[in-house]
Amino acid sequence: MTDMRVSLDPGNLPQLPRPATEPWKAKNPTRTVKVVAASVIPVLLTVSLALLFQIDYAIAAILVFLPLQIISSVWVGRNLYGKKGQADALLVVFTIFFSAFVGVLLTSVVWSVVSQGLKAMSWQFISQNNIYITPTTSLEYGGVGAAILGSGLIVGLATLVTVPLGLLVAVYLTETRSKLRNTVRTLVQAMSGLPSVVAGLFIYSSLILVFRLGYGGWLGSAALLPLMLPTVARVAEEALRLVPQDLRNGAYALGAPAYRAFLQVTLPAARSGLITAVILGVARVIGETAPLLLTVNSANGTSADMTQPLASLPTYIFSYIHNVNDTSVQRAWGAALMVLILVAVLFTAARLVSRDKTAKKRK
Amino acid sequence: MSEALTSAPAKRKLSTKPHSVADRVFYGLARAAAYGAIVLVALILVFLLIRSVPTFAQQGIGFIGGSTWNGSIDPPVLQIGPMLWGSILIAICGVLLAVPMSIATAYFIEFMASKRIAAVATVIVDLLAAIPSIVIGLWGMLVFTPVAAHWASLLNKGLGWFPVFASSTKSYLGTPFIAGWIVAVMIVPIITSVAREIFSQMDRDIINAALALGGSKATSFFGVILPTASGGIVGGVLLGMGRALGETVAIYYVLNLSFDINWVDVLENRGGSIASVILSKFGEATTQEISALMAAGLALFTITLLVNWVAAWIVNLAQPWRR
Repeated sequence: MTDMRVSLDPGNLPQLPRPATEPWKAKNPTRTVKVVAASVIPVLLTVSLALLFQIDYAIAAILVFLPLQIISSVWVGRNLYGKKGQADALLVVFTIFFSAFVGVLLTSVVWSVVSQGLKAMSWQFISQNNIYITPTTSLEYGGVGAAILGSGLIVGLATLVTVPLGLLVAVYLTETRSKLRNTVRTLVQAMSGLPSVVAGLFIYSSLILVFRLGYGGWLGSAALLPLMLPTVARVAEEALRLVPQDLRNGAYALGAPAYRAFLQVTLPAARSGLITAVILGVARVIGETAPLLLTVNSANGTSADMTQPLASLPTYIFSYIHNVNDTSVQRAWGAALMVLILVAVLFTAARLVSRDKTAKKRK
Repeated sequence: MSEALTSAPAKRKLSTKPHSVADRVFYGLARAAAYGAIVLVALILVFLLIRSVPTFAQQGIGFIGGSTWNGSIDPPVLQIGPMLWGSILIAICGVLLAVPMSIATAYFIEFMASKRIAAVATVIVDLLAAIPSIVIGLWGMLVFTPVAAHWASLLNKGLGWFPVFASSTKSYLGTPFIAGWIVAVMIVPIITSVAREIFSQMDRDIINAALALGGSKATSFFGVILPTASGGIVGGVLLGMGRALGETVAIYYVLNLSFDINWVDVLENRGGSIASVILSKFGEATTQEISALMAAGLALFTITLLVNWVAAWIVNLAQPWRR
């Protein structure tokens, strides 16, 4: 090492021997033991203390477990990595504590809906309607069949109108060079915060009061439109944006007019993303309750007449939730499980469609 | 050679404007839809404004500030002060609870978890965003309320000397505290997905530079990641706040609506929420009350529109790669 000036020419670089052992792969049993101990001991200590002194679980979690966990993690962090390890340990403890809390809340929501809803679930609960059903009627009679049909009709009509509209807005945002694009984009994003009850009020104050209409299914679809539009438009915009500009330019260079370039090149290329946009839009509005209460009201019978009040899943839950009878609450849970299943199915479909796209890309 | 030149296609006029009828129709439709979206928002404002004019004329400025709601006397006194403040109080509670949880979850997904766990967690968080508010309301009323009321009583016992946690009612069901938790559950996925998006698009080099200079993960988080991402996170928080302000059915089930204004005592079982009061009063409202509820809806929409507009603006500003 007398001459420190080593030439940087790659060919002249000194060939260092590869280390026989790969230090980054080396296992350090002491380290593993310490980390595991730091994570397990506070839990065991807290549980035993809580059981021994009958401490409330919330107090035990905040005032016993968290300090113990912090002390043990900081100690191990310092022991293993020096002063730097202390702050890292704190960061890790708080990150995991808060994320785990989110996980617990989430699991609680899904678990209660699934476990309670399954008690009400049966074939007749899915297929029958709600005529002659009182809050005390046994769960063997009546169900959400009519509500599923009504929800399907209302959301279906809303989808039929909203999807072309949202797609065209997305086209405006990606395929044109208008100066208003940023305004429209910001407005559409701001629209996604439209309170659902205000959407219902809007239809009530315009269509219902102006034309003296009665409650009806199609009015519910109209109320869902402004709630669904931002989701569809934004996801569709993302999908169209992902289509490489070269594809469009290729179509233009071959002499295609803009509409054919869009319909025959851009649209097929963005197909899976656009399907995702539709699915997410449907998932967004399928459980909306307040707009339907103000525009559709509810019904008990099975009906497909969109000009009359219709049964729907959210209003079904709404009507049974308040009753103190066990069977009534069971019905609400059952309908909630139906909604959750529909949302989950839509979500899985959206993921399958978008996964299809990435698989093709890799080819 | 010369023959090839003479048979070249005729010169076309170069233009960026659509030159065929079909193209004009295509772009015209897109423009019409975009303007339609603008018109839709304008229409919502206009119709609510028309319906609420009688209320504003009759109630005056007291409509926003006063705290009496009596539709049975003549002329009726219809004021929404406590509801307006209640919505804001609940949104603040929700945001305060949701922000640490969301940032921690986003950090966990983006920087701590292995790829597979991160993918699963992302799907779960997105799914949580799609759970309808009525399902959250059902869970909130039947499962979560007893638990949160228990937490509230503990808070009151331990920190009751502090004004915010004081409670004269000693009944913890139907408090803004519980409504705040419910709202937090609903906005955590929104803030998390925005924060995650910002974290994932961040320039890794500056984080690695901080680590290479001898910083710990904690210093790189507080010194580099948070300051860089703060703009986008603030936007995400405002987006969540817009959602929290407009939340209707879930709060309707867990909150005890009261026209006795509750400034900061989140553990007292009286609170307000504009969206929920619209839902609860609408069924048997008189004509004048319907007008007042329209005016309340207008006030709510104006606030959420402003909050969301600012949020969208900040989020767009913080994500230059999206433009």
